[in-house]
Amino acid sequence: MSDQTLPPDGPEEDEDRVLAAEYALGLLTDKERALFEAQLETDAGLRAEVVAWDEHFATVIMDEVEEVAPSPQVTKRLQAILFKREKQSFWQHIWPYGLGGLAAALVLWLAINTGIINPEEQALRSDLVAELAPTADGEGLVIRANVDTERGAVQVVLSAGTPPEDRVFELWLIAGDSAPVSLGLLDESESTIIDLPPDVLAVLPGALLAISDEPPGGSPTGAPTGAVRAAGSLSSS
Amino acid sequence: MTPQEEVENLIARVAMGDRAAFNRLYDRTSAKLFGVCLRVLNDRVEAEEVLQDVFVTVWNKADSYKVNGYSPMTWLITITRNRAVDRRRAMKLPPVPIETADLMPDSKPGPEASAVAASEARQITACLDELPRARAHLVRRAYLEGDSYADLAQATGINLNTIRTWLRRSLMALRECLSR
Repeated sequence: MSDQTLPPDGPEEDEDRVLAAEYALGLLTDKERALFEAQLETDAGLRAEVVAWDEHFATVIMDEVEEVAPSPQVTKRLQAILFKREKQSFWQHIWPYGLGGLAAALVLWLAINTGIINPEEQALRSDLVAELAPTADGEGLVIRANVDTERGAVQVVLSAGTPPEDRVFELWLIAGDSAPVSLGLLDESESTIIDLPPDVLAVLPGALLAISDEPPGGSPTGAPTGAVRAAGSLSSS
Repeated sequence: MTPQEEVENLIARVAMGDRAAFNRLYDRTSAKLFGVCLRVLNDRVEAEEVLQDVFVTVWNKADSYKVNGYSPMTWLITITRNRAVDRRRAMKLPPVPIETADLMPDSKPGPEASAVAASEARQITACLDELPRARAHLVRRAYLEGDSYADLAQATGINLNTIRTWLRRSLMALRECLSR
């Protein structure tokens, strides 16, 4: 803050000086302000007068307005607005995508070569579906099963939830009054495709699918041993 | 380096696109500037939006700082105060009432005036203290809180033209005191 001293008064200049103060304070009407700004364009003395008032008033702020720390959100938003999207070179923009693409290609190559994914299996055409509603033990689970009877496979999509620690999810078929038959274990990934034998395919429509949690490797007894976490019946899609 | 030189230096580096300098400038000045926004708007959420706008402007306009003749903190304070006042006017916030009894034209200078004037007080503070206390209060309301003449008329229940006459006389007296 300067200790800038204003030049001495001449009475004919009083009006302009008060206007400069009113301008600095934002007290002029729109019309008065427009007129004053036109005058400022050509009058360096008047501009200095406004700067001097701003300096004096800013001194009052420095002395009388308390510092208050803004929330950290402000600086986070500023970093995002000002720095995230600008001043990056072409390659800085492009490398995350390039890296991502490379990683995706590598994962796909590994999956195909290790037999996790058979590319043909991706084209599953479901004619039976089941939404497996979570039981009281399965809160938060979102599971859907799609059966392609022509291909003889079921795809189980686990879009929310995970098994308890050191447990796996096992898929069961309950047709009519029959005992549950294990169809297989779910992968740790979101989607699992399980091949179905012809005798299972024959009883699918209207049958119940259920998910239980079991020790790694699946139920040791051939019947569900853990809690049933979700269940739903198959119907035509 | 004095604090003023430090802020000036930071603004100069911000003008060249120096992000580290921008962050330092923010750390160094944001609490004071946020205080300015809060004083005018009296609402943290609104005040933080204005503060954010101000620093976007600072980043984009730092190169225009040198040519306008302001000291560095005044430049930042003036941008902030004016932006906050614009927001306050757009929101049409009602002014905080002022007690009429405190506004009698013949009210004496504040009791602190003589003591402050005698010390090494800032020139503007000393000059404000020479005004009748009520008049000085109106000037502070206009500057620190961004009250317009209409706001001050509403806050006091006094006719707008009377308020304007009082304030202009006060500003003239201030100007006379400041040029001594």
